[in-house]
Amino acid sequence: MRVLWFAAVLSQIVGPGERSDIDRPAIYAAVYIVRSGTAVGTLSGIGLFRRFRDDSTWVNLRPNTITPGMGFYQSESKAMLYLAGGNGLHRSEDGGRSWKVLTGWQIKEVLSVAPDPVDERILYISTPFGIFKSTDAGTTWHEKMKGWKTWYVRRVIIDREDRRVLYATGEDALYVSSDGAESWQALSVGVPGIKWIVQHPVEAHVLLVGTEDHGVRVSFDRGATWRQSAGLDTSAVYSFASTPDGTEIYASGFRTGVWRSVDNGASWKQIWSASELDALYTICVDPYDTNHLLVGTNGYGIYASHDRGRTWRQSGLPDAHVKQIEVFPGGMRRGVWE
Amino acid sequence: MRTLLVAVAFVVGVTEVLPAQRSFAERRAEVLRVASGERDRGFATITAKLLTGQDLPFAFAMLDSLTYDQSIGGMFYAYTLIGCYLLGERVLPDTLKRKMREAYRVRTMYRGDTENHWVMYYTGLYLAAQTWPNEDETTWFNGKTSAENFEEARGWLSQWFDISSTIGQGEFDSPTYITTFLTPMMVLYEFAKDSVMKTKAQLMLDLLFVDFAAEHLAGNYGGGHSRDYPEDIINPLAAPSTFWAWLYFGQPEMPPWNETRYRPRHRSAWEPVYGAASSYRLPEIIYHIATDRSKPYIHTETKRVRNIIRFGKEKNPPVYKYSYVTKHYILGSLHGGILQPIQQHTWDVTYVSDKPNNTIFTLHPFYSGKELAMFFPEEQKFLSDEVDRYHKVYTNPNKWNSSSPYEQTLQHKNALIVLYDIEEGTTHPHIDGFFPKTLDERVVDDSGWIFARSGATFVGIFPLKSYEWKEEDVNWRLRSFERRNGFVVEVGSSDEDGSFENFRLTLTKLRPVAREEGKQWQVEYRTREGTKLQHTFNGQRIIDGKQVDFKRYKFFNGPYVQSERGSGVITLTHGGKKRVLDFKHVKISETP
Repeated sequence: MRVLWFAAVLSQIVGPGERSDIDRPAIYAAVYIVRSGTAVGTLSGIGLFRRFRDDSTWVNLRPNTITPGMGFYQSESKAMLYLAGGNGLHRSEDGGRSWKVLTGWQIKEVLSVAPDPVDERILYISTPFGIFKSTDAGTTWHEKMKGWKTWYVRRVIIDREDRRVLYATGEDALYVSSDGAESWQALSVGVPGIKWIVQHPVEAHVLLVGTEDHGVRVSFDRGATWRQSAGLDTSAVYSFASTPDGTEIYASGFRTGVWRSVDNGASWKQIWSASELDALYTICVDPYDTNHLLVGTNGYGIYASHDRGRTWRQSGLPDAHVKQIEVFPGGMRRGVWE
Repeated sequence: MRTLLVAVAFVVGVTEVLPAQRSFAERRAEVLRVASGERDRGFATITAKLLTGQDLPFAFAMLDSLTYDQSIGGMFYAYTLIGCYLLGERVLPDTLKRKMREAYRVRTMYRGDTENHWVMYYTGLYLAAQTWPNEDETTWFNGKTSAENFEEARGWLSQWFDISSTIGQGEFDSPTYITTFLTPMMVLYEFAKDSVMKTKAQLMLDLLFVDFAAEHLAGNYGGGHSRDYPEDIINPLAAPSTFWAWLYFGQPEMPPWNETRYRPRHRSAWEPVYGAASSYRLPEIIYHIATDRSKPYIHTETKRVRNIIRFGKEKNPPVYKYSYVTKHYILGSLHGGILQPIQQHTWDVTYVSDKPNNTIFTLHPFYSGKELAMFFPEEQKFLSDEVDRYHKVYTNPNKWNSSSPYEQTLQHKNALIVLYDIEEGTTHPHIDGFFPKTLDERVVDDSGWIFARSGATFVGIFPLKSYEWKEEDVNWRLRSFERRNGFVVEVGSSDEDGSFENFRLTLTKLRPVAREEGKQWQVEYRTREGTKLQHTFNGQRIIDGKQVDFKRYKFFNGPYVQSERGSGVITLTHGGKKRVLDFKHVKISETP
């Protein structure tokens, strides 16, 4: 319903007879590098790719851009696409046809972006040199690292029930802010090397983190206490995805294959070994068809399953290191759950 | 035709009065002449053609193809495209000019992730925004206006000048990447309309050249290096820095393209064209610093580690360099540890020789995902494999470039102790040494010393523990599987020691004393000059009872170059003349 509403609104924005690309459900893939690349100056094949769900052709919306992440913002009047990239944070307001880099020389590689879901002026980005916040739609940026002991931040997300609450993965700990990134506290997850953080799409008190060598840690009280997940307990876990209702959660990582949990992450079972692939860096559930799962690999593009993970096949961008896959417009709130 | 004549006159320039400058004029003309005869698709050779007027249809065709080739478009492209445009503006057809301008709109120019990338990117952006001012955001690849792009580029370049002149470059003293700093600065100096920016570019060129000059010997870039490729490490004159040395210092005598040792690498092979085309002139004092080897000297420097993003306490810890420079050889070292990922070259002795592979060194071929994760934002589990794809040798146990947390040096003049203490479980737990087959003599003495001679340079190396030899194509590889080992190195010459026999005789009477007490791994050695060196791994480094205090190292400290760390003022002296590079006040002064 939400998707239909959004598409209707957007069609009014672009005008009668004019079709916007962004109103068509599409799969977006952030391509960081390509396996066949031999030099930094050779950048073909990287960027932000899009394939409409009803089409099989991948189109590069932002060529020559090292792309570790993306984000979306939608409101009644606007739909914006964000690209976290080597040149900084890029924004497109026309479905990827044109872009503006919002950051300057002071901000180096942007690893993730979290647009505030309500106020389009508020943006958070994570970088190897800290978290930065803009309150004027990217015109100016301010470092927000009060309370941090290290500076590498792989990912920042916004709590979907309280948008002043943020979570961010650091080198030594998971950090939480309750005041819009003005200050941060380290949460004791119990193990080092926090790689990824997600919040359950329905039960907001459930948080899951992927770790470097300790699999999945799960909290059922918004981060106050953490426990080790059963099944995935010694691996590097890089990504989670969920069905919109949260009944099935998927995880992937380094030489893990794909795992599924049906108990909010408390325990996991492997559904695909993916033994021929080293790292499954990202995973995504298609909200339009929850039988449709996609994983982004390290150098072998996208693999997809149309039967809830029983069988898989290569599904495009065969050379790519894919860091994030999203379906948009989607049924889930952006910046929170992937 | 008139345009072409003007261009050629611009290229050949005015005959200078100084001996060095006279020959420079001839060399730069030769660079342009030979480069313009090349038939490749590089911006440098195209630029040479535009300047000389030779083979213009081919140049236009190549340039045209470069404007629509979507497979390229990074930082290398950003500055060479505008450099080519500005240098060839007088002869370029309008249609081609429009295409070159259009490339800055349609091509997403990647900024890169290293210091040299950003220098190239922001130099290109600065000059492009200056060339096409007052244009709106729809005309630029990044959606910013000309004014925004100009200001951003100016801001980054300014802070790069500041940091490079106070705590040093992160990609310091690289025989390869020096090209990627010199060339953009040449173009910036040539075309920056703002006099402050032009002077800053000149200051930076002077700094880059004098940094090289102080450790230069007959075309070789001596001392420790931040980033070096294996092929150049084992054959120093193969490095791109040789071309610059030939063009500006007049050494080696032979043009690089006639030098069988020179190994031009695709993109950077003809980049000195931009130097040949520039009106920048090497100050005479730097020329003399580069070539006056009448007296041996000690030269020390402080640089910085490139940005550490993880697993570190500081973002840019200091790097301490020590070099001993004579007319026959340079013995140089970095203080050790991980100072640069992938391509660190910690120490060597490089000597003057008419044969290739004129260097000796040792290393621990370390690799780890964690090391890479210190500097790159990717996941450490697969960083090693990714880097291997680009740099080919990173995980190779036989590689000739490497940083290692288990390698530390202590150098005093022409003597050096390098210690290794490799943690159990480390990848490739062995130590390698490079001894070229082009040596005139290599003697394994019963005393434990290994002696080597090339021409007038003598080298003695005392391995502290067991090792074995392996013969390879161009070298003998010394390999030790002792995780705790080390080498005492003494270097001499016919000037210092008379004969190789004398050198050997002296050293055979000297023996280092190594001690292992629990976690302590230390060695004591009294050099042939009588200096007592004491080196404890992860502990004190003592010379004649006095602890080496790296914190007292200056930014530059030697007979020819002086600078306090953080001052932004670098003073060059030679033969009673002085040149002061004052980055703080954007001023160059010279006396008398």
